Amino acid sequence: MAEVRRRRDRIQLHLDAAERAVIERIVEQLSPRIGQVARTVPIAYSEAELQAEYERWVRPEVDRQRGADLDVIRDCVGSGEDVTVLTEAQALAWARGLNHLRLAAGGLLGVDDDGWEQRASSAQRRAPEFRVLMALGLLQEELVAALE
Amino acid sequence: MAGSAAAPPTPTVAPVDVPSGSPRGLRDPGWNVVVWNDPITLMSYVVLVFRRLFGYDIETATRLMLQVHHEGKAVVATQPREQAEVSVSRLHGFGLQATLARG
Repeated sequence: MAEVRRRRDRIQLHLDAAERAVIERIVEQLSPRIGQVARTVPIAYSEAELQAEYERWVRPEVDRQRGADLDVIRDCVGSGEDVTVLTEAQALAWARGLNHLRLAAGGLLGVDDDGWEQRASSAQRRAPEFRVLMALGLLQEELVAALE
Repeated sequence: MAGSAAAPPTPTVAPVDVPSGSPRGLRDPGWNVVVWNDPITLMSYVVLVFRRLFGYDIETATRLMLQVHHEGKAVVATQPREQAEVSVSRLHGFGLQATLARG
């Protein structure tokens, strides 16, 4: 089972081959959907003119960072290694990348209010996006704990 | 290969200056950085982000996270516009719902 351990200033991420394959598939399937889900493209300003400036000058850097974060995840799960040693910056990239993937999965699932985990119908629980949300959430929790 | 370690490339993450209360200058009254509730993002992750981006201690970061959770939003910093925009863009980079509003 996926595990995150902190050893001094490094963070060890343990993922077996099956877990790496699942994460690789999730990244490939969900990353194209990021940007299509409203939550993954948050608005900065209520004023249209200022928002247009933000889209022109700032959004590209936000998008570039997100792509770099997902690349860190891709490189890690594609390494063929069960144990990856991450720097803090790389662990943060993992945490951010997992959040973007969860936001996309939640958007596709139609999550729009707190308590969705408890209220989910049996059909929703069977949806792949629900399982992605739960599985990546557990891994993200472990990464956050290691980073704190 | 099991047991050996591999290190992927290092992304660049630069810290945001820690806000010092409400820096209200004569020419810029400050802009509020507002974070909005999101049912998907983990609470622990939001606390981590507030600590990393704004340098808050765990108590302050947790209080702000709970304010976001219970009240739907919270002002997490008040800064000059350019700095506030950088803060919001970094919050967006972490996947948080954040906006700027005139203070």
